[in-house]
Amino acid sequence: MQPTTVKFTKNDLAKYPFLKEAAEYVKTLDLKIEDIASPEFTQILERAEERIEEAILYAIITRKTRNEEIEILSFPTAIMLAAATQIPFIKRRYALAEAKQAYNNMKNEPPEKILAIANNFRWKITTKIDADAPYQFKLHFTDYLRNTTNLREKKWKLVNRLLKNGNVYLTLNETARLLSEEIRKHMEKRLEIKDLPEFPKKIAEIVEKIKSLTLEKVSRAEIEGISKTQKKDAFPPCIKALYDAASKGRHISHIGRFTLTSFLVNIGMPTENIIELFRNSSDFNERLTRYQVEHIAGERGSRTRYKPPKCDTLKTHGLCIETDETCRKVNHPLTYYKMK
Amino acid sequence: MFRKYYKEGFSLNAVFPKVDRREFGFVSFEGQMVRHKGFQNLEEVRVFMQSFVPRDAYYSCAYYENPMAEMERKCWLGADLVFDIDADHIPTPCNKVHDEWICYNCGFAGRGITPKNCPVCNGEKFETSTWLCQDCLDAAKNEAIKLLDILRSDFGFSDKDIHVYFSGHRGYHVHIENELIQGLDSISRKEIVDYICGIGFDGKIGNSTGWHARIRKGLYRFLSKADKEDFIRMGLKRNIVKALLNNREKILMNLEHGEIWRSVKGVGLKTWGKIFDRCAQEEFVKIDTVVTADIHRLVRMPHTLHGKTGFKKVEFQISRMSDFDPFKEAIAFKKGTVKILAYNSPQFRIGEETFGPYKNVRVELPIAAALLLICKGKAEVYQENV
Repeated sequence: MQPTTVKFTKNDLAKYPFLKEAAEYVKTLDLKIEDIASPEFTQILERAEERIEEAILYAIITRKTRNEEIEILSFPTAIMLAAATQIPFIKRRYALAEAKQAYNNMKNEPPEKILAIANNFRWKITTKIDADAPYQFKLHFTDYLRNTTNLREKKWKLVNRLLKNGNVYLTLNETARLLSEEIRKHMEKRLEIKDLPEFPKKIAEIVEKIKSLTLEKVSRAEIEGISKTQKKDAFPPCIKALYDAASKGRHISHIGRFTLTSFLVNIGMPTENIIELFRNSSDFNERLTRYQVEHIAGERGSRTRYKPPKCDTLKTHGLCIETDETCRKVNHPLTYYKMK
Repeated sequence: MFRKYYKEGFSLNAVFPKVDRREFGFVSFEGQMVRHKGFQNLEEVRVFMQSFVPRDAYYSCAYYENPMAEMERKCWLGADLVFDIDADHIPTPCNKVHDEWICYNCGFAGRGITPKNCPVCNGEKFETSTWLCQDCLDAAKNEAIKLLDILRSDFGFSDKDIHVYFSGHRGYHVHIENELIQGLDSISRKEIVDYICGIGFDGKIGNSTGWHARIRKGLYRFLSKADKEDFIRMGLKRNIVKALLNNREKILMNLEHGEIWRSVKGVGLKTWGKIFDRCAQEEFVKIDTVVTADIHRLVRMPHTLHGKTGFKKVEFQISRMSDFDPFKEAIAFKKGTVKILAYNSPQFRIGEETFGPYKNVRVELPIAAALLLICKGKAEVYQENV
């Protein structure tokens, strides 16, 4: 592995404020929460708020690299604000938006800079020395696999890659894409702050503002996680009924809960959102619900992800309430969803 | 007999690292499973096994903070990457002959690889009876050779990371002990499985991935010796087969230079796709997909006996892969004989000697041969001399 000679400029840190060097820079300034609430930091706080707003509204964050100082400092501030909302949707969305913007910037960087960013995450990566294009990087398959688990396109499947001597061959654009996955995960981890400090009034107000903006601009369904990827319209009647019952807090039988959860898990709804869905239920117990949902999702125990019962079984348990046109063509609720 | 082995012939010299972080499990001769056991070192394992005398002994590929705790509290630290190749998963001509299955539910029986569902009642549980012969072990070995090639040249594992074992029954185990792969989660391991088995492979002929290069080599081998029957079995029309056979030289030459898809008139991309797919299936490795993706798996402990055969799970050098002889080198008992009543057994070989077939006869056999038949339920001890 060749040593990276590239040093990040202050401009780089403004573009990629998640880098270790950026964090170190901020540390040297030795700031405290109270300082950020003070008047001379107004601009930073404003910019931090803007970052999250942009994330919520457009799922991307503009880069304002003219004032590098503000750009760098507003990043950790924004992380603190997003964490303080304690809304999983906001945290996820903010991480995604920063990662997306980083990708847009990285696409146009020279290979040396990409390499330097990758080294920041301790990737085992080298630039390809021999000239047979189109690949520019060789990345160890373990780093590759860690960052492709969420990418569903066929071209990301390892079996469809050139893998030689433990390394996956990548173009610059692909490398940038995988790095943005790494950045997203890195951010999500940083946003998982458990013990939040007591915030000054000014900051608490901003947090409230962000929360109400989210509720106002983003549909409830999306906050709950039924975004582009999960279409409620495509739910079969049985699932729709269970879903509505759950969100209104009505009682659902054991098999009903299992059916609903396994269905939602299989269409890709995050566990977090499914747990939220059951929160309105009168006998809600977060620890127990989490355990059961994670079990069904295959994150615990046998690690098998359970499928919902087939239509016949649902009929037996009286969960099949009505059949429509599509129902007659299928014998499994998931097939119904896929057809729609 | 097993007791004798664990008392006298058994040693566990530095067979796997991190003994104190692993979970152990044992199956007794009464069929009871004891798991969540933990030991500080291999000597403790040995002492335990001498008194317990298990029919089968397992250890976890995973390392835990608390190996003896229940599953949820074990605290997973990492796991070796494990591959299992078993004749059960490979269609061979011999399993049509010696493997049988009976549906638990309706009693319908058949031969060959056990189906997922009973063709009569759709049941999922079967009673199976399998045998191991030279042919199926050779088929498994062939898969193991393919697997090792991929692990070394594609995944870049060095020979010191790779441990190859004969499983003691009908297959081979490959364990990878390497820091880099220990932390991989189940999804990542499934991707590795898919790579090795060719699952989700985007078979466009013109691509230039590692698999495409490997399949092209297979294609060359196939095309240089394929006859009329081979092509017709693939469902190709007679005139196309004729065109292929008449232009064999030209096709092979073009293949060496990378392009064959337009080399023969009348043979279109669809036909080439068929031939390519057939060769691809040959190159993909048939491994047990569940084992590798399971990051908590218990695997058979090296140097212990397999309850279905009385053979040892033994490690051997990768370089010896092609001439390794399981019927000789996995034999635990080399001396002594025993009188048995053999009900029904095919012919088999132990070391240089061939035995059987037997049908309801009394015979005196070397211990290893007798043990194999007894473990397989095909014989019982005749006199009280064990």
